[in-house]
Amino acid sequence: MNAATLAWGALPVVRRRMLVAWSVALVLGVGVLQLAAYTARVLPRPKPFEELAYYPSGRALRPAALGHDESMADLAWLRAVQYYGEHRQTDVRFSRMEHVFDVLTTLAPGFEGPYVFGAFALAQEGRDFPAAERLMLRAIERNPRSGRLAFELGFLYFVRPGGRDLTKAAEYFERAGRLPGGPPQATRFAAYTRQHAGDLAVALLLWDEVRLTSPNPLLREMAEREIKELQHALRTGRRDLTVRRLTTPAVLLK
Amino acid sequence: MNAQSPSHQPLTAASGIRPDPYRSAAPAQLACREAAVRIVGLTKTYMNPWTLKRTCGLDALDLEVHRGEVFGYLGPNGAGKTTTMKILAGLLKRTSGRAYLLGTSIDDVRSRTSLGFLPEQPYFYDSLTGLEYLEFVARLSGMQAQPASRAARHWLGKVGLGQRERLVLRKYSKGMLQRLGLAAAMVHEPELLILDEPMSGLDPFGRRDVRDLILEQREQGTTVLFSSHILPDVEALCDRVAILLGGRLERVATVGELVEGAAPTIEVSVAGFPLVEVPGAFAGTLRRREAGGTSAFIVEDPARLQEVLGWLLSHGVTVTSVTPQRPSLEQLFLAAAESSAFQAQGVRRQG
Amino acid sequence: MNALLIAQNTFREVVRDRVLAGIVIGGIVLLAFTKVAAPLAMGEDLRLTVDLGLSSISWLGLLVILTVGAALVNKEIERRTIFNLLSRPLPRPLYLVGKWLGLTAALAAVAALLGGALGLLLAVTGHASYAMAITQAVYLAGLELAVITSLAVMFSALSTPVLSALYTLGFFLAGQWCDDLRQVATRLPSGSREAVETIANLLPNLSLFNMRALASGGDPTSALHLLLATGYAALYCGCVLALAAAAFESRDFR
Repeated sequence: MNAATLAWGALPVVRRRMLVAWSVALVLGVGVLQLAAYTARVLPRPKPFEELAYYPSGRALRPAALGHDESMADLAWLRAVQYYGEHRQTDVRFSRMEHVFDVLTTLAPGFEGPYVFGAFALAQEGRDFPAAERLMLRAIERNPRSGRLAFELGFLYFVRPGGRDLTKAAEYFERAGRLPGGPPQATRFAAYTRQHAGDLAVALLLWDEVRLTSPNPLLREMAEREIKELQHALRTGRRDLTVRRLTTPAVLLK
Repeated sequence: MNAQSPSHQPLTAASGIRPDPYRSAAPAQLACREAAVRIVGLTKTYMNPWTLKRTCGLDALDLEVHRGEVFGYLGPNGAGKTTTMKILAGLLKRTSGRAYLLGTSIDDVRSRTSLGFLPEQPYFYDSLTGLEYLEFVARLSGMQAQPASRAARHWLGKVGLGQRERLVLRKYSKGMLQRLGLAAAMVHEPELLILDEPMSGLDPFGRRDVRDLILEQREQGTTVLFSSHILPDVEALCDRVAILLGGRLERVATVGELVEGAAPTIEVSVAGFPLVEVPGAFAGTLRRREAGGTSAFIVEDPARLQEVLGWLLSHGVTVTSVTPQRPSLEQLFLAAAESSAFQAQGVRRQG
Repeated sequence: MNALLIAQNTFREVVRDRVLAGIVIGGIVLLAFTKVAAPLAMGEDLRLTVDLGLSSISWLGLLVILTVGAALVNKEIERRTIFNLLSRPLPRPLYLVGKWLGLTAALAAVAALLGGALGLLLAVTGHASYAMAITQAVYLAGLELAVITSLAVMFSALSTPVLSALYTLGFFLAGQWCDDLRQVATRLPSGSREAVETIANLLPNLSLFNMRALASGGDPTSALHLLLATGYAALYCGCVLALAAAAFESRDFR
């Protein structure tokens, strides 16, 4: 009889039984982990995003969410982002992207993140600007009071692949500056964009607003400088003075 | 009979010297062949999980119940009766000590093969019928389907529920549940019955039936260990009784010893309200009681009964009855508690 | 043998409970509803029926587990019905196994009933080819319910009905997101990655039992998937029940 047997014999029966049960649990637990790892290797990876892509349209899905549309959209959103990352690294194909974001945004019309993300993913990587524009316009339509969405749409026009759309960008930047939730730099962006679109009078007004409202002294100084230049340009009629620094090859001047 | 037998030896617990329960025990095999229940140094402490405060449920209990006897387990609430029974039935885990049922250690589930246990105020599954329940528990105790079904029917009839075979237990009254509990404890014909308050919740008829059942079991040689609050039941049934107080065994004795041990009194009932005064000579021996429109004299010292009667008759009092009074269970508990307190003091002084 | 007796009794108890009847009726009403709601689904009504029919098995099963399963053992302790069982030659682990087996069998019956109703509905509407996929999906749902039941039995042996229902629900939700957790882990720095992976591996991998995406198109899954899922469920239930037994062994019933 060795020491282990002796120690075992000295244990109360209840402790012995507990020890046996713990050991069984341990052995089976290791089995569970092994099998889980094996399963992850052998079975095809679940494709949550594709799952989502095969869902019926958002409108058909809504009744199934039983009032928890928002939570369901949240879950869909998490999966969408994850899968986006995966496809980005592999085939960069987002064929069903628009449908997916449509599902998402129908379930939760006030959920702003997916519009912005979807639009930029569509425009930048999907190289489908019209789809992105449609998504953002729908976002604005559903959330007319959202400064953030207006700003993002302005920004989408501003960085439009193949050529900026400064007029529309400026229009939405201005709108963002007036709406709640719009970023503080919206007015500044608007002024800047107007200026380079050639709308000097509007730009002047916008810069003035920046000068009066910006909490940042450096920005206020900058606004003052720009106002002086703009006033000079308007007086002399030499528009090119204010636009020159900012011309980039692709800028569309209207 | 070995030296551990509680009935012949002064109790280790009561004498205040607690031997090592493991060392003083005789070899298990030897003693177990005779004892239906053997308990050695059984201790149970409860720990409050929040305050970590320990309370003692049972303190180094040594006890032996012989095969074929009916053993009464007495004590006030919280004395440790239920704790002992539940440890034996495998519902509580002991802190230390050992116990054997019919020679098998209670650690072994097989010790419960021939055990019938009736918990205090038994409850059952609402949606089963009495018959289904008895079949179920009979099979759990190891019976095959056919005999279990037969036994279930037999016992349902035996406890007076034969007409209610198909009634779901939800609709049973409290007394019916108690009867079903008894049937469940006996349905597999166990050699040992442990009954926790089998008479509680029963009307006088029910109590008589239970008493008859227990006596019948004794006739068949079944060992019965039961707890009770009701002394007449205990007296009518038990061969021996144990008194438990505060988790400690105070006394093991035959019922006769127990009752004799307590100071008896005699009640002398008289007619009307006699105009006599208890003389000084009877001080401390005789007192008068007026209650419920009758008058009686209580003789505290039975030896002076003749004297008292002579005095009463000489004063023209009409004696209607002379009744020896049995001590109540409370008086027995109190007497035991007093002697225990006395001994505890002695131990303290020694320490 | 004794475990089977306990299982049989538990099954009888659960089946006679009104909760279960209500839930089965609720499931069938839900199925009927999908047919009534067909015009709303815009041509996706078949998908809606299959999706909702299969989801209802899981959700209603979960409901049974949370209402009945979470109180399975602690109710017996509280109502002292357990006294009359454990005072017989019944090892405590077998009692737990019996309780688990009984409820699992009842749930399997519910799953089979609802799955059968779904299959019948599909066959009547001319989609008998879905039978294989539906059968497999119902089988996997049954395995999933068995795993959740084992957790409920463990918690109910250690805790109050309300708390064990909460714990069980928590594990169910976490188990649904197990795969996502694993994906998140791959992007974490090592150290926290291993920690998150371990947690993900300890949670029940419930997405393994989910082939609803396939089934809604009528596609059966692979035999390997069924085999792995069966093995995983068996190991996981065994492990959880062993843990429960270890904790239950020293328990006092006052």
